[in-house]
Amino acid sequence: MKQKSILLAAIFAVFAFVLCPDEGNAQTFTIGSALENFKLSDTNGKEQSFDGLKGEKGTVLVFLSAQCPVVKGYNDRINQIAADYKANGINFIGINSNATESPELVKVHAAEHYKFTVLLDKDSILADKLGANVTPEVYYFDAKNVLLYHGAIDNDRSGKNVTEGYLKVAFDASLNGKKIEKTSANAFGCSIKRKAD
Amino acid sequence: MKKALFNGVNTTKALFFGLVFVQIFSLGIFAQKTKSKTVKSKVQTVKTPPKQIVSAKVTQIDEVGLKTAIKPNGKPLLINFWATWCDPCREEFPDLVKIDADYKGKIDFITVSLDDLVEINRDVPKFLADMKAAMPAYLLKVEDEGAVIGSITKDWQGGLPFTILYNEKGEIAYFRQGKVKTDTLRGEIDKLVPKLLAKN
Repeated sequence: MKQKSILLAAIFAVFAFVLCPDEGNAQTFTIGSALENFKLSDTNGKEQSFDGLKGEKGTVLVFLSAQCPVVKGYNDRINQIAADYKANGINFIGINSNATESPELVKVHAAEHYKFTVLLDKDSILADKLGANVTPEVYYFDAKNVLLYHGAIDNDRSGKNVTEGYLKVAFDASLNGKKIEKTSANAFGCSIKRKAD
Repeated sequence: MKKALFNGVNTTKALFFGLVFVQIFSLGIFAQKTKSKTVKSKVQTVKTPPKQIVSAKVTQIDEVGLKTAIKPNGKPLLINFWATWCDPCREEFPDLVKIDADYKGKIDFITVSLDDLVEINRDVPKFLADMKAAMPAYLLKVEDEGAVIGSITKDWQGGLPFTILYNEKGEIAYFRQGKVKTDTLRGEIDKLVPKLLAKN
């Protein structure tokens, strides 16, 4: 009887998988979820851990691309915010999950543009775990690795007409012990190119 | 003898014949050039058949215009959000142009570019013309793309390309972030137009 149940459950699972439409990665890692420590290689091939890179007050994982023009448009702002809030104990970690970008390209791009560590998520495992689909897309965690904010950095990709600095507002609220009013905003940019795409 | 060449009569004759020779020579070159041009022109006409004229007019829209554009008009409506800077968008475009041709009259199909506004008369129409894309083309200019993305469907996570299919009632029948899988998209369209066999 037990074996039959397992078999039926397995058949159901297979059918559910086959019938499930393929529209990208579902958002399963929601606000309030805690991130377990993970390890990935940096652009020099050295293994780094999230716990080793995280900030005293919080950490931002920012999904990047070496080729995406939207990321290019955000680079100065990303660096500025990272520098401004490093002093407040928030560290930035760049993540490149694009299967189409070589480690050499990512290394050169990271060296040219960022003052924080960029990790290579070559099999998009971290992107899959978090449900990240776009570059740039940010995940802001508190000191206990709990997700506080997810999505866009601000509301204007050009940087000329920013009226809502979502990420900075989230930083300021959490650093001052206040509730973050807007915990997510749709990121806009280039799709993360996974191996299966 | 040498001296005779420079006396009055001989000099006039020499000048006359010289002028005649120059004139004839010039006419010869002119005729050759004209002939050459004509031949060249003929060759060009033969070698280059007239190109199919493809409309590459791109209309600017805002949030309000987009809301109007995404309302089906009695037929299923397919919308592709794209940008010239987006590699997968460009890669999938020939397939989309083919789908547009194959389902012409059975569905409506529009494209919405999220390029910068400056590209409305530059890269966007150029790319569409290169692709021979005949679908109505729009360029979305809004303050906050994220807000618009959320208004299309909460399942659009902000990446391009994004393709969405509405049935004739305006209900979402299918969507895909990232390059479309052509067979899947055609299958979804076929479900909405079952009696109208699509050309292969």
